Amino acid sequence: MPINYSAIQSALQEFVTSVSNVQGASIMSPDGLAIASSLPAGMEEERVAAMSAAMLALGERIGRELSRGQIERILVEGEKGYAIVSSCTEDAVLIVLTDEKVKLGVINLEVRQLIDRLRPSLTFAKTNVA
Amino acid sequence: MKAPEQIMRVVVTGPVGAGKTTFIKTISEIESIDTDRRATDEMAHLKPTTTVAMDFGRVTFGPNMALHLYGTPGQERFNFMWDILLRQAHGIVLLAPAHRPKDFFAASRLLRYARQRAPEAPLLIAATHSDLPQAWPIADILPAFGIDASESQIPTLSINATAERDVARTLIALVERYAERSNAKRIAS
Repeated sequence: MPINYSAIQSALQEFVTSVSNVQGASIMSPDGLAIASSLPAGMEEERVAAMSAAMLALGERIGRELSRGQIERILVEGEKGYAIVSSCTEDAVLIVLTDEKVKLGVINLEVRQLIDRLRPSLTFAKTNVA
Repeated sequence: MKAPEQIMRVVVTGPVGAGKTTFIKTISEIESIDTDRRATDEMAHLKPTTTVAMDFGRVTFGPNMALHLYGTPGQERFNFMWDILLRQAHGIVLLAPAHRPKDFFAASRLLRYARQRAPEAPLLIAATHSDLPQAWPIADILPAFGIDASESQIPTLSINATAERDVARTLIALVERYAERSNAKRIAS
């Protein structure tokens, strides 16, 4: 079955427009190739994809090396907001960008729900080479 | 009392599939740290996994020196990692897959990138996979990079990244260059 990119794309767009304080979201493969995005103007999808994959891989490795157990998310906290990277499925990584006023409890819940919604369209059959 | 340990940071770079992760795994005394992910790009048919952040390994060198080996990802989309790692480099090993001439362009781009970002760090080129029949002879690799071999100061070796002896030989050559440069600087100042 082909992957329904437009469904993923519209889910991301809806997430960015409907959840307050969210500025962008993007999905990529674990080796850093863009799948779908809704990002602020001027932000390059390819670069965001590579950076998010690198950050998740390094974060997960740090988690394992320093015995932190299963990694829930990698959080970058900046003066102007957060970048939150989570593993979505075995084949997909999600990054969400928010402003600095976001409530972390709310956004963590929203991200988890988004992942649940996206998961069926992002679990690729191994034989299905896109 | 143990003399304070000197740390030399070596960046191992090169195009995808050149053998960077293997190079570090071969020599590291600690279990090397990798950030491999399943490859889904055009390299997937060459190898199942690819480095997305960095590799790390460590080798003790003589009584009071340790080499910290940092491997970069190969694909250009990870060039922000090249920057992060090159910024700290004391020495650079560029691995070039001798059997894949179509990657020489990517390798020469990386070479220029490294030269520009870490102009002080000594660099050497090690040709990997040179045991394969279709591999280019080491003497032809520099010209293929667009470098005049007679003028270039860049040492080139031909190695097998899975052979500890070859990896050690590469690192010794790099440390020697580093020591020469440090001495030259000391005399000049």
